[in-house]
Amino acid sequence: MENIYLYHDDFPHLINLVIYLIKNKIKPFDIKPLGYKPNLFDNLINLNLTFNENIGKQLIKIIGYENFRTIHYVYLSVAVNKELIIYYYLLNYAKYKENLNKMFNLRCVSEALRLSKRVGGEAHRWKGFVRFKELQNKVLYAEINPDNNILSLVSHHFKNRLPQEYWIIKDVKRNLLSVYNQKDFYIIAGEALNLVKGTSLNENWIENLWIEFYKTVSIKERKNEKCRMNFMPKKYWHYITEVKDEL
Amino acid sequence: MNLQEKLKILADSAKYDASCSSSGSNRQSSFGNAHMSGICHSFSSDGRCISLLKILLTNCCIFDCKYCLNRKSNNIPRAIFTPEEICAITINFYKRNYIEGLFLSSGIIKNPNYTMDLIIQTVELLRNKYHFGGYIHAKVIPGADESLLKKLGSLVDRLSANIELPTENGLKLLAPNKKSVNINKVMKYVKDNRSKNFVPAGQSTQMIIGATKETDLDIMLKSETMYRNYNLKRVFYSAYVPVNTDSNLPTISIPPLKRENRLYQTDWLLRYYGFKVTDILDHENPNLNILVDPKASWALKNLQTFPKEIMTCSYYELLKVPGIGVTSAKRIMKSRQYFKLSFKDLKRMGVVLKRAQYFITCNGKFNLREEYINKGFIESNLVWEELEKSNSITNNKQLSLF
Repeated sequence: MENIYLYHDDFPHLINLVIYLIKNKIKPFDIKPLGYKPNLFDNLINLNLTFNENIGKQLIKIIGYENFRTIHYVYLSVAVNKELIIYYYLLNYAKYKENLNKMFNLRCVSEALRLSKRVGGEAHRWKGFVRFKELQNKVLYAEINPDNNILSLVSHHFKNRLPQEYWIIKDVKRNLLSVYNQKDFYIIAGEALNLVKGTSLNENWIENLWIEFYKTVSIKERKNEKCRMNFMPKKYWHYITEVKDEL
Repeated sequence: MNLQEKLKILADSAKYDASCSSSGSNRQSSFGNAHMSGICHSFSSDGRCISLLKILLTNCCIFDCKYCLNRKSNNIPRAIFTPEEICAITINFYKRNYIEGLFLSSGIIKNPNYTMDLIIQTVELLRNKYHFGGYIHAKVIPGADESLLKKLGSLVDRLSANIELPTENGLKLLAPNKKSVNINKVMKYVKDNRSKNFVPAGQSTQMIIGATKETDLDIMLKSETMYRNYNLKRVFYSAYVPVNTDSNLPTISIPPLKRENRLYQTDWLLRYYGFKVTDILDHENPNLNILVDPKASWALKNLQTFPKEIMTCSYYELLKVPGIGVTSAKRIMKSRQYFKLSFKDLKRMGVVLKRAQYFITCNGKFNLREEYINKGFIESNLVWEELEKSNSITNNKQLSLF
């Protein structure tokens, strides 16, 4: 039988489980979130571990912030084997310590660095591409459609940037809302909140002002669609006010 | 004139300024902040990044620079923003995350001091009344008083004054009202007073490429001098786009974009790769090779100094290998202390092996048969690869064959 260990689907619970497995020298066949649909030979194991609230902080103390961020970003990625990459990354930390992130000849290291770079890159792109609309009740609302689960990363950014606004960002793909109340943001299920329909009075006028600006700044003698597509691929366009109509 | 028409005129006349960066500052306020690495918010159909609301305060100008759309002798619609209008647009765009901040330039109205004062009023309003913490890049009007420069610098993240043309002769020919002494004075003042409260993101400048006869050597030597003397963050190169006709202007219809691209690549080599202009260009070859990028072109010229052994060569030797950048060079330096690198590892570390393989050995071995390591073979492969990248050859040529 192939032992698959289950975890309650969030990052602290995952590292809680991974650390337990490493300490007890258990080699998992795979690690999956609760709700995973098993195959014929899968043997699902739920250890029901006692959860250590401070596991994140303790881990940072041991492996350092940079390694912690790497595995956190891997967790946010869409890679199917992300849990195993994190398991082997931490397993190898015991051997290589602070030199681990230089060991590009280890698959788990080069994969972890590749994935975390990708997640960080996507989060960075969305920090620019998020387009808020002002709703009737003055709440700013935006929709995004990221490949990786970067809603929390983007939310952190806007918490610092627009601390005195109320805003909501929706991850359309995962049906999640990030709701900010001038103090902190909370990530909740899409159905948990009824959004106000309709935008504020000025909204259309300002959108048009922006679209006009966008069209004006392009230099026609330098037209370069390929270059634009490189930096701003079509998959984002539906969510970007100024190019939506070009689709 | 309504706000939309004004914005159209004043964005249209500001768009030829190439600077778009929003990096280098970490301001934080109750409304907005600056992101250390900068953020691109959109890309226009010419492929250029849009991160700032790039506008002129006014396109009225007392100068008559031949290449400029806003020259006094041009018969075009003129407009002027009030400081409150600029604030309203900036705040509303920023709140919706359209932009990272404001880029405010201006034609010269009445005199330099009067113009500078209007710019200061606007920025002051944004910072003090609206508590705006986003990125602000303002143009300095050369010839304005030092006290105004001091004030403006304490409010913005970045300042710039455009040198426009690399030589004094070029300026005399095309921008007779501009004096390079005034621009140099501004740059020196900013350099001497820069701190985290005065122009934290540093200063930049711009040169127009292809409007005058200067060679790439002239241009890059000028850049090198300015980087050295004034600690500039960036020099921007802007391919000349013909907007006016004048006997002193060249008659071209397509801006020299490839040349601009090669100049930017050379600029990068100066700032991050330890190259000097004279490594790449000299009086016999004063212009860059359009077919191959400047680093590969340099490596081909100096083929006798290659191959470099990955496991033992120095950091600066690594940096000079085509296909190896700053990140991968640093990774190689760290990793090779712990294990023997293979070509596969190099690929995982971000080395572009397709380019690098002609110039390196890994544990004494080449990645390809040694008879391929000759100048003609390497050059034709590198040229082909560039053409493929710019797509023209593979798509168009093949189509035209059938």
